[in-house]
Formats: sequence, C-alpha cells, structure tokens
Amino acid sequence: MTRHVCALVLLAGVAAPAAGTAQAVQNATLGRAQQAYDNLEYRQVVSLARAALRERLTGAERARAYELLGFTYGALDSILKAVDAFKQVVLIDPERQLDPNRVSPKAYSAFDVALRQVLLVRQLRIDSTSFVGGRGAVPIRFTVTQPARVVTRAIGGAGAGSYVIDSGAWNGQVNLSWPARLANGDPLPAGNYTVVVEARLGQNTSSASQAIRVSHGSVDTLPSLTSLPGYQYLPETEVPPQSWRPLGLAFLYTGGALVGTLGLESSSLGSSSKRELAVVGGAALVTGFVMTLRKPAPRPAAANMLYNRLLRDQIARRNQDIAKENVARRQQVQLTLVPLSRPGGAGPR
Amino acid sequence: MSRTVAGLALLALTSPAAPAQGLAVKVGPQLALASYREVAAGLRYQGTGFGGALSARYRKLSAEASVVRLALDPASGSAATSGFTATEVDAWVAYDLATYASVEAGFIRRSADPELDAQSVGAVRIGARSFYEIGPGATVLFRANYLAAPKFSGGGHAGFSIDLGLGLDVRLAGRLYGTAGYTFQRISRRTNPGGTGEIDAAIQGTVARVGVALAL
Repeated sequence: MTRHVCALVLLAGVAAPAAGTAQAVQNATLGRAQQAYDNLEYRQVVSLARAALRERLTGAERARAYELLGFTYGALDSILKAVDAFKQVVLIDPERQLDPNRVSPKAYSAFDVALRQVLLVRQLRIDSTSFVGGRGAVPIRFTVTQPARVVTRAIGGAGAGSYVIDSGAWNGQVNLSWPARLANGDPLPAGNYTVVVEARLGQNTSSASQAIRVSHGSVDTLPSLTSLPGYQYLPETEVPPQSWRPLGLAFLYTGGALVGTLGLESSSLGSSSKRELAVVGGAALVTGFVMTLRKPAPRPAAANMLYNRLLRDQIARRNQDIAKENVARRQQVQLTLVPLSRPGGAGPR
Repeated sequence: MSRTVAGLALLALTSPAAPAQGLAVKVGPQLALASYREVAAGLRYQGTGFGGALSARYRKLSAEASVVRLALDPASGSAATSGFTATEVDAWVAYDLATYASVEAGFIRRSADPELDAQSVGAVRIGARSFYEIGPGATVLFRANYLAAPKFSGGGHAGFSIDLGLGLDVRLAGRLYGTAGYTFQRISRRTNPGGTGEIDAAIQGTVARVGVALAL
C-alpha cells in the first residue's frame, strides 16, 4: 500500500515537470535532460541540466533547467540542493507557482522554503474597477515573501507624476485599498500609469509593476454667471434734466463781479469804465445761456453705482458657490481603472 | 504746404487732450481792454493791449500766470495830456478746499513807461476764488484778492487794496479753449507830497482779457 502511495506521488511529481515542457525548449541538452527526467533517470537529469546551464539559454530555459534540478534533487532527497535550485527558479521567474496538487510534497516544500529565503514581490494583481471618486477604492493585492519595507506608487499620467499609494512594513499576502485621489481630494488625473510595488530589506530589493489605465466619466460642471436673471446693471452716469442753472450761475458770478465793482469804486475817482465787465460778463452770460440749451453733461449716479456694486458682489458670491460645487462635481467623477497587461515581475536587484 | 501745416495744426487743436500724469497745462495769447484812473476823476486812460496766459493744474493744486502789455491813452475828457504803456504781470498759486472753492496767493507787478507818467505798483495777492462748471467744458470763476504790502514808484501807502476778478473758460474744440477774464482793481493809495500832509491818490483800473488757450 505504501509503495503504491509513493508511486502515485512520484508520478504526480513527474507529471508537473512534464507539463512545463509545453513551453518550447530549444536547447538540445535541456531537451535531453527533460527526456531523462521523464524516464526517471535522475542522475542523468542532474548531469544534463547542469551541462545545459553552462550553455547559452533563454531565461525561460534557464528557469526550466533549474526547475528540473529542483524536482530531481527533491526526488533524490537532496532537499538543500532542491531549495537552492528553486531559489534560482524564482529569482528568474518571481511569478512561478507550483500546484500543490500536482507536485510532490518534497518538491513543493522545497519550493516553499526557497520562496521564503528570497525577497520577492510577486503576484501583483489590480482588478478592473469603476467607482465614483471619493466613494470607492481600487483593490491592490500582492505577496511579499519576506518581512520588508514596501512602498507602492503610481507613476505616470499627463504630468509623469509619482503618487504614493502606500508605504509600510509588510510580509506575506498584502491587500491595499487605493482611493485613487490626490492630496487635495481631486481624483487621479486620467491617463496611463504604472503601479510599482517596491520592497526593501537591507541591501535586498524587489519590485513588481502593473500598468493601468485610469479614465474619467463626463462631469457636468456649472457655468459661471455673468449676470443674474432679472437683474441688469444700471448706467453709472446719468444726464441731469435740462435747467436754467448754467445761466443762473453765470448771472450769479457776473452779478458778483458787477456788484463788487460798483461797491468798491472810489468816490473820488468816479465811476469806472464798464466796457471791460460788459465784454467778459456778456461772454459769461452767453456761455451760460448756451449751456442751458445744451444737453447737460452726464454725472455719476451714486445709487446706480451702489446697486451695480451689490449686483457684482452677489454675482461674485454665486460664482464662488458655483466654483465650490464644480470642485465637488469634479471630485465625484466616475473613475474607471483597467489593468493594461499581465503583471510584469522584476526580480531582485 | 501751407494747407498741410494748417491741417496738422487743426488736428492738434481738435484732438482730445491727454493730461500727462494728471497734470493739465494750458497756454495761449490774449487781447486786452483796459481803463485806468489815478488820483482824480479827470485823470483817466483807456487802451488796449495783448498778452498771454499760462495755467496748470495738478490734482488740487493750480497755478496761473499772465502778462499783458497795455497801451493807455488819455480818455475823452481826460486831463491827461499823454498816454503811457503799462506792463502787468500777475501770478497765483491756488489750493482747492472744495470742488468749487480754493484759496490762493500770488503777486501783481505793474510798471508804467514812461515811469513817471503813472504809478508802478507791486503787491502780494492773498485771497480766494469760487469756480463752477456750468456745462461740459465751461467754467466760470469769481475771485477776490487782497493786495497786501503794496509798493508804489511814487511812494505812499495803501490801507485798502483789492482786486476782483471774473473768469470764463470754455472748451471750444478738442484742446482748444476760449478764455475771458475781467479784473477790477482799487487801491486806496495815500501819499504825502512835500510833507504837507497826506492826500488821497487812489488808483482804479479795469482790465478785460479775451483769448484762446491750447491744452498741452
């Protein structure tokens, strides 16, 4: 019975690497190593995989070679070597995940140990979401394989800005909730961004990124007012009604000069000539008469000026209220956030 | 050519004035009519002359100056046998106390040629004036000045000297203004010829000036 269980487990362990061969393996040595693994020739797998690693391989082939070594060492009970091989796998492909139902427990535990020994940010997921600004949040999930200081940022947009989403010490599965708002409450400007999660532990760093697109729904803002319905500006000058005032004033001034002249004439010198006064006084009276007939000059209308000032103040207050309302409307815009591609993982640096 | 010059001059005169930094300056020539009496009713002169006037205003401060040269001849029935030429210089500086009134100070200097044919006078003006805009661009003015510390070429003193004025300033077109001014002057001069006792030697004159002015 025990032998049957072991055989099943072994088959399961064999089945998983075989599934990985679906990826194109171009390198002949690596192909032979895969063939040897399929034939359970573990000694030959080790030698062929190591030989393949000395050759020029693509990243996927290199990860596959280390993965074959990890599974083989696991099958040979060389757990430490299996862990080392799996560490190389996750360093090359941080997103690599083993299915515990399809691989041997030894290999899976070795893979799990390897993950815990390397600082990695992996499995960054940002779901498509849509919500009204200020009334929702963007779920951001990722895994940090070791306790580390993790800073999450959104980089990009029209101004190529950098917006800190979160900064904290995290380990394991992390779930963030990002309201996608700026410090002043405005929604994140529409555009393409890259969400970057960067973990730092001593000298070790790891990061993962995800491109997203943020779009805004339409906002119905209110236009500013230039006038109030039913209220119109009044002219700030008014033409006074025609009157005899100009002629009266000319009479008054001319009369003053005449009375002064008559009153101050010296009795010993006799009455002075009046032709000079007649010339100038006559001119003044004619001017006064002409001005009486002419349309009077406009003069400031204090009441209208006061009314216009009150109207302007009222319009300014209304426009301030409208501006506040528009700010609120812009902040409550419908935000739609869509991830642009599969999460890109960048290994430790 | 002359038409061009005349056109340019007309354009300058009729274009609207643009006071620089609130400073308004006007200058222009004047024609004058005058009558003059001295000492006794029989010693009276009449004549005409010409001159010029300059005025400036900056906010509540204003200044005026005028010069007129009068050729005075004995009036009909006058005891005088010959005429004389008088040159009168007047100047004022005024400060507006209200939109229609200001206080002012200045001086008057009138010299006669030949010197002994009439009294030359110099005095300080202190007084006030009232002005009112009776229409667009039209202002009337009434002035009363006390002539303080008068000096006479023939000696003597004056206990009471006064100068009254009526003025008119009308904008004719653009920068061109018409001006008119009337002054009545009474100086109660007393003199003591030969130490025989003081006698009245009053001076009384009127001048009318009519001219145009250009606002700069």
